[in-house]
Amino acid sequence: MQQFDVKKIIETSPVVHAQLKESAKWEVINGMNTAVEFAGVAIEGARKKVLGVADISCLQRYGVKGPNATQWLLERGIAIPTTPNSWTTCEQKTLVLRLGSSEFLIEDQLGGSACSRLESDKARAASVYKVPRADAAFIVSGSEALNLFSEICSLDLRDKSLAAKDLIMTQVAGISATVIRQTLNGEPVYRVWCDGTYGPYMWEVLIEIATELGGGAVGLTQYQNS
Amino acid sequence: MIFRTPKQTGEWVNRDKKINFTFEGEAFSAFEGDTISSALWAAGQKVLGRSFKYHRARGVLSFANHDVNVLVTDGVDTNMRGDVVTVKEGMALFAVNTKGGVKKDKNSYIDSISPLLPVGFYYKAFHTPRRLFPLWENVIRNAAGLGVVNFNYPRILKRKTHSHCDVLVVGAGPTGLTAALTAAEAGLEVTIVDENRQLGGSLGYNRAADSKSVTQLDGLLSKVASLPNIKVIASAYAAGYYPDHLIPIVGESGINKVRAKAVIVASGAFEQPPVFRYNDLPGVMLGSAAQRLIYRYAVKPFNNGVVVTANDYGYRVALDLLQAGTKIAALVDMRSAGNANSAAELVKRGIKVYAGHCVYEALASSDKLGVRGAVICAYDDKQNVALTDNKFTLECDGISMSAGWAPAGALLYQAGTGMQFDYGVEQFVPSRLPNGMFAAGKVNGIFELEQRVRDGVRAAHDAIRHLGLQAPQNQAEKHVGASPSHPYPMVPHPKGKNFVDFDEDIQIKDFVNAAKEGFDNIELMKRFTTVGMGPSQGKHSNMNAIRILAKIRGLPVEKIGTTTSRPFFHPTPIGHLGGRGFHSHRLTSLHDWHQANGAVFTDIGAWKRAAYYPAAGQSKEDAIQTEALAVRKTAGIIDGSSFGKIEIHGPDAALFLERFFTGEYTDQKVGSCRYVMLLDDSGVIADDGIASRLADDLFYLSIGTSNAAAVYREMQRSQQIWQLNLGLVNVTGAFGAINIAGPAAREILSTLTDFDLSFESFPMSSVRESQVAGVEARMIRVAFVADNGYELHAPMAQIPHIWNALMQAGKKHDLRPFGSDTQRLLRLEMGHPMPGIDTDGLTNPFEIGAEWAIKMNKPYFIGQRSLVILAKRPLRKQLVPFVLADNFKGEMPMDCNLVVDGRNILGRVTSISYSKYIDRCIGFAYVSPDKKEVGSVFQIRTDSGSLVAATVVKSPFIKTLKGA
Repeated sequence: MQQFDVKKIIETSPVVHAQLKESAKWEVINGMNTAVEFAGVAIEGARKKVLGVADISCLQRYGVKGPNATQWLLERGIAIPTTPNSWTTCEQKTLVLRLGSSEFLIEDQLGGSACSRLESDKARAASVYKVPRADAAFIVSGSEALNLFSEICSLDLRDKSLAAKDLIMTQVAGISATVIRQTLNGEPVYRVWCDGTYGPYMWEVLIEIATELGGGAVGLTQYQNS
Repeated sequence: MIFRTPKQTGEWVNRDKKINFTFEGEAFSAFEGDTISSALWAAGQKVLGRSFKYHRARGVLSFANHDVNVLVTDGVDTNMRGDVVTVKEGMALFAVNTKGGVKKDKNSYIDSISPLLPVGFYYKAFHTPRRLFPLWENVIRNAAGLGVVNFNYPRILKRKTHSHCDVLVVGAGPTGLTAALTAAEAGLEVTIVDENRQLGGSLGYNRAADSKSVTQLDGLLSKVASLPNIKVIASAYAAGYYPDHLIPIVGESGINKVRAKAVIVASGAFEQPPVFRYNDLPGVMLGSAAQRLIYRYAVKPFNNGVVVTANDYGYRVALDLLQAGTKIAALVDMRSAGNANSAAELVKRGIKVYAGHCVYEALASSDKLGVRGAVICAYDDKQNVALTDNKFTLECDGISMSAGWAPAGALLYQAGTGMQFDYGVEQFVPSRLPNGMFAAGKVNGIFELEQRVRDGVRAAHDAIRHLGLQAPQNQAEKHVGASPSHPYPMVPHPKGKNFVDFDEDIQIKDFVNAAKEGFDNIELMKRFTTVGMGPSQGKHSNMNAIRILAKIRGLPVEKIGTTTSRPFFHPTPIGHLGGRGFHSHRLTSLHDWHQANGAVFTDIGAWKRAAYYPAAGQSKEDAIQTEALAVRKTAGIIDGSSFGKIEIHGPDAALFLERFFTGEYTDQKVGSCRYVMLLDDSGVIADDGIASRLADDLFYLSIGTSNAAAVYREMQRSQQIWQLNLGLVNVTGAFGAINIAGPAAREILSTLTDFDLSFESFPMSSVRESQVAGVEARMIRVAFVADNGYELHAPMAQIPHIWNALMQAGKKHDLRPFGSDTQRLLRLEMGHPMPGIDTDGLTNPFEIGAEWAIKMNKPYFIGQRSLVILAKRPLRKQLVPFVLADNFKGEMPMDCNLVVDGRNILGRVTSISYSKYIDRCIGFAYVSPDKKEVGSVFQIRTDSGSLVAATVVKSPFIKTLKGA
């Protein structure tokens, strides 16, 4: 039988199909081949001010649900948002998203380790169900971000309606997505997650509108300091 | 610019910038800001278009975005409304619906034969012989109509956006502006929308020669501008009302869907014309149109006009006309009492006033392109009769008409507002408003300016309180003074041509005739006469039509009612409705591999799936047969990542499946798979799939591609009701799947896993978890496309690694990919019907012979009750496998071709294909139960009508290794 080293398997971002036509610079991050730069730093910096869209699908995630999921996470040192449909951070490098009352999406930012720690816990617990994640994930930022969302999301994403720790699960460009508002390096950004199989479609929509509005694709490196 | 007036305060044109354009080949100049109509009118061009049906000359009517007889084309766009579209440098414009131009339209002869063409004539005249109808249809379509669709119209993106506010105010006249200011001053976020390019509504033009209103408007506008919480949207119309206060606002650049917490409708009212003979001639226009021409565009409506009025408004118009330098031959008031005070003021200025009179008819100039005079006579406004004994003629070149108003209440109607007829104002007014909807101003039956302003404040206060803030509760006022609308401003004339609907050339007699024919209900009358069905959608005709019908039937107006008001309120370009094309689709992680290897893709559900992989020059059919043969003779591999994949965790997982599907699962062994069939409550087959038991408390469900999302939704819904101890996890996107099948499949797979793949260790319908190419995978023994089939389920991102490893390992076996089209042939050869292809929205399990999959003795499953009933009924159809004759060479039947017996339809073909492997045409079809036995022969009618004999056989069509 042929032998394989699973650690050497390079995955690709679920968005990659839509990015192939761009002359992007690629790097393997968290085992996933990811477009880290689409244009020069100056150009991307300018785009980002107006409307930058970055693919951050490579961040590690862990999903869990079930009546005992909250307790299970607390026991493993994960801070839990107090109300459904809200989010918080823990260990500085980890986002904890509460999807409804008893489902959670944990996302490590670069350098975070909570997800791999949770992943390593293989023991099955009563009323705790792991939710395999294969999200396409994006950061959208810039002065025209709300203008972009006004075309693809019917909900009010302005500060006055989407509070700092609110999380919404809604339709974005016609597909199910999760959206939060966050401040990264002092800059307000929107974070969007959708099923990875919709990733190329979502990327195409975001980039098409972003380009029309004076922005465009931005590499992960633009947000790497976060 | 012979009709241009001296500069008007607040005019909308920029006299510093001249614009040159052509109309029907003739050069014209305009000022920046002029509309097409105002520029032409200022230059003395009064024939601006031709009417829809009779090709009568038409000019300005409303100047309010409803002059639908003045539609022009610039060669690219068509049906551009001359009264509101601003003229641009270099435009080359032509009127639509003419043959030879507006002045010499060759189709104008139709007007002279109009007695032969009453409404509905074509229903009767050309009904028989039927073979000639296409000829007449062509003639009629060429003679009547609007602009010609430009099929090369450029694709210009019109964005559809969403926005939100506390209060949306529709209409930026004095009422709307006041309401917006009041709400904004209370701290609310306000959006105000108006279809005009400048705010102010009638405050800008209804002046009665007094500039006080301009000062008032300036004050309101400066306040609006000073409040940052007021968002102004001009040049856009609120096109409809949808639940929860969703209002699409249509502007030039697209549609903005505004979600408001409260809506104040201050949309005003449409001025209504009195109806008299030749009220459609160029130069005869509504009073408000004359005012708009004067104050917005600084254009004189005419030089020497007659003002006919049936309310007090006409007196104001008369003063405005005088201010603009127009002579007034007379003011004719259809009301017997008239208005003594206003009349006295005009008399002082040398204007003759005739109360209790009407314009009996307008006299056309010799070329029928304008007005040369008006015949005036006494009018009995109780009996609505013209008393012609002492009629006389006044020379004039234009007539201004004022007879009343119809509320612009479309949004109110669409929101479910109860309306009642208020005889104090002779119009429908809101009597019961939906929660969060408020009406103010003319649409609310309030017409006097000061009252309207107070009504705006009152509505805003109501909205503020609705949103939970403090505000005074003001009493709604009633209109004070004479009715702003005349109850029946119609002047009968034996020669007709007294138009009610200018869109469709409908006269009073047309309504009388329609009623005589039995179309005496307003909805029926609308459809027979087509009143209100033209581009202006009855904004100037529906109210008069209701009044005429009420008169005919001897009923009060409120007993006639109104026609249904539907969104969109105003004709909206298809491009706006389309917006940006959002075509969401899902791709598997192997999509790029498929693309690189020449796959032809097909849409299945939300997914793009590889349908087949043709070699260069290979036909679809050949590619499918080649791929199928590979599966039969060596091995094939298909990307099944689009299958629905759902995990059911928890102690009640098996119980859940027992309730949800038709089979039994509580006794299912860990490591085994069972077929699942989902029914709806009526016993119709919804979907099927495989349930693999991975642990006592964990099932892994794989189901069809198309219905996966719907099945998961239904599972969630059922769990909400049943509240079992379990968790549902949809892993459709997180897991991919590969099916490797064929005689060599096991050998190929065995090189990538150390798991024992022998039939003893891994029999049919079992599931195992092991590593494949180093990746943790779920392996399922299935026989969907071939006996030797293995479904490999693994994380989506790792599927390409497994796929590539399999392709590499399968090289020596000529392993080749096959697509979803080939899969359909393979499963047909295996004798597996597919829900959605071999079933439809009415098929129950008995009709496809799936009794084996139903455990009726269970306490409950979805659809069980219906099956109990269905089981007692005789079958009406039965799905059978069939073959065509050996070496069949005739016309190949297609999916959905009918199974017939003479003229009787017995059923239809659901799947049919040639199988190269068995060299036979095979398929499934529904037949009558008497034809279901093996050996029965039935007839299939092909697309061309020929009959093809088919014979019922046993399935599968190929030899299988049962239980291997």
